[in-house]
Amino acid sequence: MHNELSSKLASLVSGSNPVVNTPATVGDSSITVEAATILEVCKALKSEGFNVCQCITATDYADRIELTYILADFTKNLEILVKANLGRGDGNGNNKETLPKINSVVSVWNAANFLERECYDMMGINFVGHPDLRRILTPDDWQGYPLRRDYIVQEKYLDMVVNPAHKINSADHMFGKNLKVEIGDPKKVSASWKSNDADEIEDAKDGE
Amino acid sequence: MSSHHEPEDKILLGDQEIIKSDLLTLNMGPQHPATHGVLRVEIKTDSEIVVDAIPHIGYLHRCFEKHVEHLDYRGVIPYVDRMDYLGAMSMEWGYALTIEKMLGTEVPKRAEYIRILVAELQRIASHLVYFGTYGIDMGAFTTFLYCFQDREEILRLFEELSGARMLYNYVWIGGVWNDINDDQLNRVKNFCDRFEGELKKYHQLVGENKIFIERTAHVGVLTKEQCFDYGATGPVLRGSGVNWDLRKNRPYGMYEKFDFDVIVGKGEKGTVGDCWDRYYVRIYEMFESIKIIRQVLEGIEEGPVMGKVSKIIKVPAGEIYMRTECPRGELGYHLISDGGKTPYRLKVKSSCFTHVSMLPILAPGQMVADLVATIGSIDIVLGEIDR
Repeated sequence: MHNELSSKLASLVSGSNPVVNTPATVGDSSITVEAATILEVCKALKSEGFNVCQCITATDYADRIELTYILADFTKNLEILVKANLGRGDGNGNNKETLPKINSVVSVWNAANFLERECYDMMGINFVGHPDLRRILTPDDWQGYPLRRDYIVQEKYLDMVVNPAHKINSADHMFGKNLKVEIGDPKKVSASWKSNDADEIEDAKDGE
Repeated sequence: MSSHHEPEDKILLGDQEIIKSDLLTLNMGPQHPATHGVLRVEIKTDSEIVVDAIPHIGYLHRCFEKHVEHLDYRGVIPYVDRMDYLGAMSMEWGYALTIEKMLGTEVPKRAEYIRILVAELQRIASHLVYFGTYGIDMGAFTTFLYCFQDREEILRLFEELSGARMLYNYVWIGGVWNDINDDQLNRVKNFCDRFEGELKKYHQLVGENKIFIERTAHVGVLTKEQCFDYGATGPVLRGSGVNWDLRKNRPYGMYEKFDFDVIVGKGEKGTVGDCWDRYYVRIYEMFESIKIIRQVLEGIEEGPVMGKVSKIIKVPAGEIYMRTECPRGELGYHLISDGGKTPYRLKVKSSCFTHVSMLPILAPGQMVADLVATIGSIDIVLGEIDR
């Protein structure tokens, strides 16, 4: 299915440059297209029968951000993963202009509205032409994009200290520690009460 | 909190143009009982008529997808529970299936039966919460008490199986944690026999009630095209007259061996795709679940409940998208693995997330009280939306 679709896409959308990714061992195949032609590709796929946009998700790699559009055809019962690669841009702060840009597909499926907002909020991608590109899960004044791999949890948020020492409930930690001390040899109590050290030793035995 | 706005050019109620007046912005939620959780809907009203509704979500956001990147594959399951806390068994099953498909794990037959059993019981429990709370939304308090009584019976069984009432950590990669005994199976059988009759009674009391029909028929109509455009799934899609159920169309587990019907909304009391149709789909799905559970009780066989899974799970590099039919719609897991001990990226496609995005097209032109009926009928759980 993927090979047929990719040759169709190549003829329908010039410059889309579709490449089929076949998994090495297990998993799903996907088609990678040029990011600049994503809107045309999505329009072409919709006319091919992919009437539902199931999901839009992004993955952060060291050198790029990979967007995955998961589309489904409910009449022929098919599903396809379309990928587009973007640069990483500058994900610090809250500035849309420094983020990687891609055309929005809200005009093709309205489902993309919330999904693209989530991608923007979590991964920092600027969807050009989106009717209402605001943060969705985090507050509007949030800094940074949490699902990027280099995201650092801030020590201060709006001059408030995050997790101040006096508010951390040390009783919880002490409770856990005391349990171990009181029981002594956890293996003698029951099979499920193993200490972490014992786990590690057994892991090593497995040849890990 | 409210403020005045400039009036819009035209305000329509159905096809009728009505007198313009100042628009009032109201916040419904985040602590409003009718929003079923911490959802805030910013509504612009012209007297009693809603002109616009903007959902604001994220009050329950825990960035589950970030946490997962630091957890081993087994450790993810308790986090998955906390997404849809009313349908935790189905959430776990979807995740376990995703990993098993990548690993190529064989799940023992008894475990497959138990998984279907708990998933269908969970579907009943989840629909009962919908049914009960929807009754409250519509002003019928008694339903709630009846429904929660029956739901409690299911939760008690789950508590015996897993040790927890709502967040189970029961369905594991390769099988299920604990075996079910004959006494418990017998109780399930008795529950089905009793509950089937009760449910018929509830449906007659509520679904055929004139006031309930007046409140829900022709209200919150979603057409087939709108559903596909917004990516709606589950009872919402079926309520709009689309015959689509993953258990039939893309069978997973052992569903292909089971005999049951897909319930589709027919517009019996009003228009196809209105609140009453979505109610109808859920009620009759419970009967179908009972049918499936009876077949499980007949077919269940002795054997182990846990397959062979290596002590440290390492999923081969690659990606997969797996979707399952949960009580509220399709749940999809998109897993990207780099061959390590933790997922490189796990994205959850939540059905409630897509359903709540439909509010801006559902709300305009409705009365405020009908908006409550509409939000109730799409049956959202905020834990799954915000993740």
